[in-house]
Amino acid sequence: MKRTLLIWLAAGMLTFSAASAQEAPKDPEVFKIGAILAMSGKADWYGKVMSAGILQAVDEINAKGGIEGIKLEAVIEDHKSGVAKEGVSAITRLINIHNVQAVLSSFSPPTLAIAPIADEKGILVLNGGGVSTAMVGASKYLFHNRSLASDLGRAAAKRANELGLKRLAQLAWKSDAGESIIAAVEPYWKSKGGTITATEFMEVGAPNIDTQVAKIRASNPDWVGLWLFSPDPGLALKKIREFGLRVPVIGIEYNEDIQKIAGKHSDGYEYTSDYFTPSPEFPWSQQFAENYKKRTGEDPEFYAANYYEAVYVVAEAIRRARAKGGDYWNGAKLAAAIRENPEFDSVYGGKMVFQENGVAKKRVALFRVKDGKSEFVSYITPD
Amino acid sequence: MDLLLQLLVNGIINGSHYALLGIGFGLIFATTRIVHFAYGPIFTFAAYVGWLLAGGLGLSVWVGLTGAVATALVLGLLSYLLIYRPLELRNAPVLVPLIASLGLYIVLENLVGVIFGTGVRVVEHLDTQIFFVGPVFFTSLHVWQVISFLVLGGALSLYLRRTRIGKAILAMTDNPEMARIIGIDTLRVSLIVFAIGSMISAVPAMLILLKDGASTHMGFAAVFLAFVAVVVGGVGSLKGAAAGGFLLGLVQSLGLWQIPTEWQNSIAFIVLFLMILLRPEGLFGVRTR
Amino acid sequence: MDYLLHILVMVCLYAILASSFNLLIGFAGLFALSHAAFYALGAYAAAITTTSLGLPFPLPLLIAVVFAAVMSVLIALPALRVSGHYLVVISLALQMIVIEVILNWTSLTGGTDGISGIPAYTIGSLRLDSPGRFLLAAVPITALCFWICWRLAHSPFGRALRAMRENEDAAEAVGKNILYMKVSVFAVSAGLTAIAGVLFARYFTYVGAQSFTIDETIYVLAMVILGGTANLWGSVLGAAILVILPELLKFVALPVDIADKLRLIIYGVILILILRFRPEGLLPEPRGEKAMFVSINAQEPVGASNDLFAGSKDNVGEVILEGRNLRKSFGGITAVSDFSIILKKGQITGLIGPNGAGKTTAFNLLTGFLKPDSGEIALRGKNIIGRRPHELVGAGLARSFQDLRLFTKMTVIENVLVALPNQSGDSLFRVFFKRRHVREEERENAARAMEILRFVELHDKAYETAENLSYAEEKLLVVARLLATGAEVLLFDEPMSGLDPTTLAEIFPVIRKLAESGKAVCIIEHNLDVIKELCDVVYFLDEGRAMAVATPEELMSNPELATRYFG
Repeated sequence: MKRTLLIWLAAGMLTFSAASAQEAPKDPEVFKIGAILAMSGKADWYGKVMSAGILQAVDEINAKGGIEGIKLEAVIEDHKSGVAKEGVSAITRLINIHNVQAVLSSFSPPTLAIAPIADEKGILVLNGGGVSTAMVGASKYLFHNRSLASDLGRAAAKRANELGLKRLAQLAWKSDAGESIIAAVEPYWKSKGGTITATEFMEVGAPNIDTQVAKIRASNPDWVGLWLFSPDPGLALKKIREFGLRVPVIGIEYNEDIQKIAGKHSDGYEYTSDYFTPSPEFPWSQQFAENYKKRTGEDPEFYAANYYEAVYVVAEAIRRARAKGGDYWNGAKLAAAIRENPEFDSVYGGKMVFQENGVAKKRVALFRVKDGKSEFVSYITPD
Repeated sequence: MDLLLQLLVNGIINGSHYALLGIGFGLIFATTRIVHFAYGPIFTFAAYVGWLLAGGLGLSVWVGLTGAVATALVLGLLSYLLIYRPLELRNAPVLVPLIASLGLYIVLENLVGVIFGTGVRVVEHLDTQIFFVGPVFFTSLHVWQVISFLVLGGALSLYLRRTRIGKAILAMTDNPEMARIIGIDTLRVSLIVFAIGSMISAVPAMLILLKDGASTHMGFAAVFLAFVAVVVGGVGSLKGAAAGGFLLGLVQSLGLWQIPTEWQNSIAFIVLFLMILLRPEGLFGVRTR
Repeated sequence: MDYLLHILVMVCLYAILASSFNLLIGFAGLFALSHAAFYALGAYAAAITTTSLGLPFPLPLLIAVVFAAVMSVLIALPALRVSGHYLVVISLALQMIVIEVILNWTSLTGGTDGISGIPAYTIGSLRLDSPGRFLLAAVPITALCFWICWRLAHSPFGRALRAMRENEDAAEAVGKNILYMKVSVFAVSAGLTAIAGVLFARYFTYVGAQSFTIDETIYVLAMVILGGTANLWGSVLGAAILVILPELLKFVALPVDIADKLRLIIYGVILILILRFRPEGLLPEPRGEKAMFVSINAQEPVGASNDLFAGSKDNVGEVILEGRNLRKSFGGITAVSDFSIILKKGQITGLIGPNGAGKTTAFNLLTGFLKPDSGEIALRGKNIIGRRPHELVGAGLARSFQDLRLFTKMTVIENVLVALPNQSGDSLFRVFFKRRHVREEERENAARAMEILRFVELHDKAYETAENLSYAEEKLLVVARLLATGAEVLLFDEPMSGLDPTTLAEIFPVIRKLAESGKAVCIIEHNLDVIKELCDVVYFLDEGRAMAVATPEELMSNPELATRYFG
């Protein structure tokens, strides 16, 4: 009697443990990923390139049979160039109508606004574009796969320090992004013994910055920090050179639009940025760039790369979570998968690691522009 | 002192730009009393067509300018005929054309984005000369901005004062009902002012394209500042619109001499706020009581 | 599901914003574009008091409302001295300045980062952090705000607002305190908008300046215009449409990179089309009988009628109003050089003179619409120079206008009603806190107004819109409106010009009866028959001063005056 009981007990335990250890994964019909981007409004350029990156990744993954045979679908929503409440409307739609479990967000205000919803509903949020430090830690499910403004700004300041420059004049966006950079750069620069001769602000996309540039010139700096994003560095470069200011200009962004506006005045401009440069050393980066060029007719820059990469990160997180079985298709499980193993392939080349605070450490590089083309100078680590 | 001089010159240059925009907008507003928000995206369209010809197709800048002026003309006339005139005929309350104009603004601005795509458009390989006069610098395009204001402003002034139609326009500016009663064809006059006002805006549009590049949202600042210039200068006075524009340009520039540039938006408005309180009819407006 | 409930929350928010904006634009005719600034002030006040100060409900809400109302008064006092396009620009300027201050005052407002982590409402242990649960707070609050707007609009105060909107000077001339009305409607509108801001903060738990820019004001403005100005249900409808429409458009599948732009284009086109085919908005302003908020039984006995003419018949000849050596110049032109006049109780005084003699200017001086450069004016012995016209109406001195200045979009009876004196419903406090009393008084006033209309034989047109009257009827209404003020001294500016003899014969007894019941009447007229028929004494005004003062007969037989008059 006792022996039968023992056998039954053992059998029961075995089946029980087998069942809980490997429950069959609950697959959805399709993996829907949401994206909340600047599809209209002043900054619609970002929405265009980010969505291009996302859709390319989705198509590539699906062409290979999807994730474990299940297709991927991206739903793109608009936050009208960074209006917080539009972000909230967007994520509500994404969750309720499309049942997404992961969202790629952009711009700080909408990201901050959706953070509490992400926490409450358990949605994975991946930011590949916003730079404000305020976002860090806003939600336990929020991750970033781009260097924050603070890192880029400090890297630029480090470069200036290396060049022996001492007097900085700053021109920044009057926005969370611009102010984040100033907040990071100023104490760093001063600790290196530098001074700040002028700090001027411009509205995002403002057409007229003559006064700012005039004041910068009058303050007699020996370098100018451009804490601006596309396409404003172009205008700034043009005005600075036209005003007869010859000192080095170092910024944190550069792309075709900026080049178009700056024209020949971009010569000598240096900038620190996430190091995205397609190269044969890293075949994935080249393949991405070629495919992007084929699809859109333009060369990709790092925003497109980040969002392309973000889709792959989510796909990988799905794969890892699925391997554990059970009800894996939810944001909390996906986020857990990222935390458990924060190493992911990066389209930049090699691997990237998500740190404790959710930010993926990417290599920051210094580039210089010559004859309208950007050249890699060196890697630069802000200390 | 050097900075002050540079800011003064900047103020005059930008003032010319705003003054020209103010005159165009003001002409339409004073005569028809329509707040023509769509003035902004029409300005944008003009710049883009200018780019298409001078930049995309590589034709001469003057061809581009002609295209820009033609575009503005057509769009301006269409806005009046399709949107505003039907409302006028139905005696719509004053605010309605304003909102309709807003609707038109939204349509046109996004249409530019759909047709031309996002991303800045520039005319490359332009040879702009840079001048240095003492501590002050400016480029040849800046000179063109001031010249265009003087030429167009002067031409318009002569036109209004010397020609029959011009005087009819002035009459309508002063008193639309009376003008109608004494037999002035208000439809014809309205069409003419929409035509002239729109065409005038194409010139600063082209200059901005050459100077800074065209973007899909450049129209907002254009119409917003034009509106403020007109009201500050005094509704109904073209001299006032020009003066208002200059005041704006100077305040935006000199006003920030000692004040941090993060206040750029407000400084102009704080001064305007005070000005309107002290002289509500505007610089050259007529006090009605 | 949550998405639909989220839309409902947005509709609630915008219903509050649109109806409060309608009070300002539709009812009061104050075209102030600073609405989103008060929205921001409310939202930030809630954000700061809950996050930095940790204050519990209802303190943040109350603080936000009071703060916004106070700010609006401070801003309104200087800004409301201008009107029309200037008010637009000033309020726009304020809007930009407020946002800029929010963006720059980083230590208080978080600057460009905004403030996040605002605690949601909790009812007991229930956190209102989902759309469905938030509606538990949003719906009652929205209903309350709507009720406040409704009460305000459908009250004597609301009627006075509309009169002010139609014609500010005329409203002042019937005794309405324009400044009080403007400031209070501004404050109420701002307070209600701030409530919407508080709801915003508690719902989104994040506030950032980009949500409160000029775009937002324009969005709400579109809702008001679309729904119909001066129609509160219209504002709710407008809010619903302009919130739901963009969301509906998202279901239209379009190529990704231009999808949102195309949707905006469709949105703009729809806006244009609706305005094209219904420019007055979807719901019209209530007219005719619907504009009344109490009903009058037309057969009601004439109870309070005769007190219109109650007044002591004794002391006829007593001097009520005296103007001495009045002088007024405009730039280089002297309109009135040395004008003196005496108006006596029970007397009808005529004021005649060639065009440009200064007669209307004299009226403007006497009634406080203009300030004399020198001279004295005494009402019952007390100096009244410097007092506002509406105060003088209350003290018993009122005038009509040569160019009528009727409240054209209001009904005939409303024109009279708004002129009746001492309406407790003119005070906002009493409108909300002494409702029964106001309602009772309104009924009495309505009956009284009907009586006045009966007296000038316009009662069968009581619910007709004033702009639809014939010329003669308009002139009668002007008389009725002035009569309604109950003032002791009545100054009529060309009351009979352009009327045919039959109508004249109807009006004469009206004016005579006024004098007989003890009023001091003064008429500016060009028609000498009228002067002869009615006036006890006539002043001949030319070159800004009284050339002669005599009885009509004496004046008419003076050849020198005839030459002056006829040229």
